[in-house]
Amino acid sequence: MIATATSFWITGIDARRIDVEAHVESGTAPAFAVVGLADRAVQEARQRVRSGIKSASYRFPPERVTVNLAPARERKQGSGFDLAIALAILAASGQVESAAVGRVGAAAELGLDGRLRPTQGTIAIAEAAGRQGLEGLLVAPENAVEASLAEAVPVFPAYDLYEAVQILAGQADPTPVPAARPEPPPAGPDLRDVCGQAAARRALEIAAAGHHNLLMVGPPGSGKTMLARRLPGIMPSPSLPELLEITRIQSVAGTLNGHGRACARPFRAPHHSASQAALVGGSSLRPGEVTMAHRGVLFLDELPEFNRAALEALRLPMQDGEVLIARAAGSVRLPARSLVVAAMNPCPCGHHGDPKRECICTEQRLAGYRARISGPLADRFDLRVAVPRSDAHGAPGESSEAVATRVQAAHELLATSLAGLDPAAERLLAGACDRLLLSMRARRRMHSVAATVAALDGRAAVGEDDVAEALAYRVELR
Amino acid sequence: MSAADELRVVLAGASSGVDAGRLARRHGCGSLLRAGPGTLQRMGALPALIDGLRLAREADVAAYRRDLLERGIGCAAVSEPGYPERLRVLHDPPLALFWSGARPDALDTPAPVAAIVGARKASDAGLLLAQRLAGAVADSGGVVVSGLALGIDAAAHRGALAAGGVTVAVLGCGVDVVYPRSNRAVFEQIRESGLLVSEYPPGTRPATWRFPARNRLIAALADATVVVEARARSGALITADHALDLGRDVLAVPGTPGIAWAAGTNGLLKAGAGLIENADDLCGWLGLDRPAEPPPLPPGDERLLLEALREAPALPDELVARLQLPPARAAAGLTRLELAGRIAKDVQGRWRTG
Repeated sequence: MIATATSFWITGIDARRIDVEAHVESGTAPAFAVVGLADRAVQEARQRVRSGIKSASYRFPPERVTVNLAPARERKQGSGFDLAIALAILAASGQVESAAVGRVGAAAELGLDGRLRPTQGTIAIAEAAGRQGLEGLLVAPENAVEASLAEAVPVFPAYDLYEAVQILAGQADPTPVPAARPEPPPAGPDLRDVCGQAAARRALEIAAAGHHNLLMVGPPGSGKTMLARRLPGIMPSPSLPELLEITRIQSVAGTLNGHGRACARPFRAPHHSASQAALVGGSSLRPGEVTMAHRGVLFLDELPEFNRAALEALRLPMQDGEVLIARAAGSVRLPARSLVVAAMNPCPCGHHGDPKRECICTEQRLAGYRARISGPLADRFDLRVAVPRSDAHGAPGESSEAVATRVQAAHELLATSLAGLDPAAERLLAGACDRLLLSMRARRRMHSVAATVAALDGRAAVGEDDVAEALAYRVELR
Repeated sequence: MSAADELRVVLAGASSGVDAGRLARRHGCGSLLRAGPGTLQRMGALPALIDGLRLAREADVAAYRRDLLERGIGCAAVSEPGYPERLRVLHDPPLALFWSGARPDALDTPAPVAAIVGARKASDAGLLLAQRLAGAVADSGGVVVSGLALGIDAAAHRGALAAGGVTVAVLGCGVDVVYPRSNRAVFEQIRESGLLVSEYPPGTRPATWRFPARNRLIAALADATVVVEARARSGALITADHALDLGRDVLAVPGTPGIAWAAGTNGLLKAGAGLIENADDLCGWLGLDRPAEPPPLPPGDERLLLEALREAPALPDELVARLQLPPARAAAGLTRLELAGRIAKDVQGRWRTG
């Protein structure tokens, strides 16, 4: 007898439907095979499913059981199919009604004791289930809040396989899903801790308000990392759709916190040994750091130490806010609207240009170090500021909260439109472009930075002073 | 002495990679070319040079010159009238000089000529100053000579080019060889609006011994030699020594005591070199007229910023703290001053006046 259950697999940050077919051939010798380009974790599902079914006090059919994951051409990974496989087998062996199994989706891993364990990407799965017109989605209790965030399909959390079958059979009411608790964002590090660095703080504020990528150049220990870590705390508070996007990505990556919902902008700081696939995504079409930092901050410390190809691959996402990954297994489009903040030393030893310490780098090393940041890449950093070693000038600065208030207001002002330049500002910008040999891209960039500067001051019109300030944030790299 | 023989000896020296100048001065080019191998050996010629001279004896110098001319390269042997008079004062003038570029007249110009030389590895402040000194000299009609090395040399050439002036680069390789390669852009610009000069025939590859040797040409071509930054045993000090031998002015920019790249220049100052602090000092030494009136002080924030920077170079943060200006206004004011050409910043973000 044949029965079909429905499950989902994740590619990129989207879920696709899989039909899990089970065939129980009566009168044959006991055997259990899974076919349909299943990877190792899926093959191991056989042991989990067998034990799970027995622990839930059902009978594992003592005949030949064949499970097919259709469409068979796609390579499937992960353990989220366990529940669907178990349900298909139970239906094929007549222990649960086939039609009931066909009506709902199932996405959970099985424990040997029959418990349902959480799986990854349940938001995307719930959305897909809704699109497929399923009547419900069986998930582990830990995934319930997450799945219900999609608001696409009724979510049936089940403690174990037995409860799942009871729900399908209409003999138990599914537990109502608790509402997602909007957690207050966790308190991140505060800008108050940063002494001095007035210019860098200002650049940080502009970056947050106008979503301008920021490059900080300064000697070791001058506070570049400290500043970057405080950026998410002053960015405009994320809107509900933005939070959903963040949650969805974290759900796929399995990094979601226990509340089932992200409540703050992500801050990702990959080590400079990160590969291209790790940075922009690609290994098995999984999202990379630039997607993990979507709507948040991607911090690249020691920028020139990164793999050159990986950095160049960042150029497109930095510009378009999304990344298209193509592999033999298929292609996916991933969102990647992250604010890129990078830090680098002025030279390999870190003391180039320091009036008090001698730089010990040879010209070749210095040139090589700077050449790692190609012109087009450098061009994508709207703000390029020097962060000098601070001799602790000035008292502790403003708190993140005060800065965030200004940023929020500017962000709302900027959302309306990009303001034009007044004639004096236009003249200043044109003159600067001639004198400083700025490219058209740089010119557009200066315009948008100037608009942010004006917005921080509560003005929609961009004046001469705004352009003058925007032009100050461009340390030349060569 | 015939010009053809001199060129033959130069070619022999270049093809054998040996300096033939000393032997040629002692024995004459004619005798070097006529002498047999045994005689040459007794004169002290190395085997490579003996081979080179044997081959050069047959060289068709007229065809060689025609070929150079077609490639836009000029040349003159020491006995010819086209040879720069300024080089004749050397006790070991090059047997021949090769040049390439738009301004061959710069070699014997009546205008004041300043050599601006210094460390290859220089501080940003040093680079900026070299650029400004060269710009001021070029701007007021003088010529800037340097060695097209990295660092101070290249900055000096750039400064002169940016001011639309004339600059001469004395190379330690052929005038058609770009070395160091990262100076390609400056090299091309100098060929277009200045002059590239070398005592080595076109095609000669750079070799370490040729660079100190070309320093005597830099000193000889200039009325005054300015050393901007130099460590204790810098090649720039060789140029200064040559200038001293020739009785030309030696000038140096002072640096903070105890800092490695100031040791050479401070040593020169101790020995009596003229002190150069800014472009006006240099123009004064050269007798160049500079607009005497300093440009008027700008109004408002810029005035405060400029006055503060005149006291000492400073970071924006230091200015913000000292002047009690909001960072935004300080940034805007600094940009305006930069666009007006009054101040410049280094890679650490430190601003200074020119």
